Amino acid sequence: MRARFVAGGLVVAVPLLLALLGPLFAGDPGPRAASFTLGGGHWLGTDFVGRDVWRQVLLGGRSVVLVALAATALAYLVALPLGLAAALTHRAWLEEVLMRPLDVLLAVPSLLMILLVASVVTPGAVGLALLVAVVDIPDAARIVRAAAAEVASRPAVEALRMQGETWWRTAVGHVGRSVARTLVADAGVRFTGVLYLVATAAFLGVGVAPDAADWAVMVDRNRTGLFVQPWAVVVPALLIVALTMGGNLLADAALGKRRRT
Amino acid sequence: MTGLASWTARRLLLGAAQTAAVVLLVFALTEALPGDAAVALAGDQPDPERIAAVRKALDLDRPAHERLLEWAGGLLHGDFGTSLASGRPVSTYLTGGFGPTLLLASLTLVLLVPAGVGLGVLAARHEGRFTDRLVSSVTLGVYAVPEFAFGVLLTTVFALRLGWLPPTAVGYGTDLLAHPSALVLPVLVLLSRPVCSLARLVRAGMIDALASPYVAQARRHGVTGARLRYGHALPNAIAPAAQQLARTVDWLLCGVIVVEALYVIPGLGTVLMNAVAERDVPVVQGLAVVFGVTAVVLNLGADLVVRRFAPRAEVAA
Repeated sequence: MRARFVAGGLVVAVPLLLALLGPLFAGDPGPRAASFTLGGGHWLGTDFVGRDVWRQVLLGGRSVVLVALAATALAYLVALPLGLAAALTHRAWLEEVLMRPLDVLLAVPSLLMILLVASVVTPGAVGLALLVAVVDIPDAARIVRAAAAEVASRPAVEALRMQGETWWRTAVGHVGRSVARTLVADAGVRFTGVLYLVATAAFLGVGVAPDAADWAVMVDRNRTGLFVQPWAVVVPALLIVALTMGGNLLADAALGKRRRT
Repeated sequence: MTGLASWTARRLLLGAAQTAAVVLLVFALTEALPGDAAVALAGDQPDPERIAAVRKALDLDRPAHERLLEWAGGLLHGDFGTSLASGRPVSTYLTGGFGPTLLLASLTLVLLVPAGVGLGVLAARHEGRFTDRLVSSVTLGVYAVPEFAFGVLLTTVFALRLGWLPPTAVGYGTDLLAHPSALVLPVLVLLSRPVCSLARLVRAGMIDALASPYVAQARRHGVTGARLRYGHALPNAIAPAAQQLARTVDWLLCGVIVVEALYVIPGLGTVLMNAVAERDVPVVQGLAVVFGVTAVVLNLGADLVVRRFAPRAEVAA
């Protein structure tokens, strides 16, 4: 497990550092060269409109990572109160009203929802984060509810209630704190899932400009030149693979640690 | 049996509610958005003529609930409306893209089960040893990778460097079966994520089953090898995996859209992406209903089958 932790950390460090610090080192955009060329002072060649690929790589990670982070945080922001309320209420009908609609929503394929909205409006980066968060809420709320329901059935909660503690102290002070550990582990897994969705949506052209500096957009737009100049596709694709793969290895290692303690 | 009967009734009810929700959601997301839908749909430079044409084609002057009822009523007897872009009935779009998508999905499903179960059993047999660690790490890693990134790398290696396989299905039309080499990469990419999740679940279930008292008893009776693993342990390990298999339908539908875009296969995913780009709302609605209802029905079917064979398994309904 320790080996997996280290391996995951190493694999995810390269794309993550590049995504967060890359824009600082990108420098000025040089003059545009011919499309899909190699050499000529361009370390990784040029892309479909003649921009330097290395510079695009430095710039292109930030949007993917930030949109995914924002979407994960937003999903929890809604799912946390929803799940806690459903787990702690004594009114069966309230739990049904809160959770049943989510069961129904879970059946709709997530990418489909995003494409549906994209057919009517053109979402920007913020819109994409919102959309992905909405799609992720049902599953996140179910996890929160399951974790909180388990804690809420413990004798400690019963004792708090009999002492006459307020709902707020019981829900946030005790149950909320007890489930935090489970949720931190779940957040890692959820983040990689969100990363998958954000990158796939960007690849399909949702939430990004057609010439945006974004790893997923680079893979899509430079595909036409794959046979002439593969680096413009292979480098961003490898970075996305490393980011998602390493992220999942790391999240799983963290999950295993929590389970044992 | 009354427990089973009432559970089945509740599960069927949930399925019906989910189907209704899909239809409602598709309508709400595409037509009931705030603002004037006609202006949004007319494109980047809306001229009054185009706006008026869109408004007339979609009947936007009538109240939303009337349009919803009429559209949903049409769906019931297979009338999906007509395309905004071409004026052709939406059903011709559906039948046109159906073949390649069905071929891709069924090929993937046929290969998915033996590959996932095989890998899972292999890892469980060698629990804790090198093979297990290798299979577990690889499945865990690949499981999170978006299809497009994985697919592009496979294309670079097998089509560009080695030249073994065609890079796309361009020029083969809808008759893909006649060109099996063009199908290898798309199916491989579609398999990547579901195989990993299935293998991980089968591994976990097999490890539990192999350590259980009834398998120990079978061992004492002299049952060994493949018969012990596949005849005794596997059936009990498979129930949670079968349920997960239905959940992966979601991924498969998403995967099909990406893979068709990546390998230029003229299936339903490509039709959907073209319609999204052209803002052809009736076509998008029709495809979304087909995709959404397929997901609901397959999930329902899997839950019913699992409940029938493993009544102890917890199935939410």
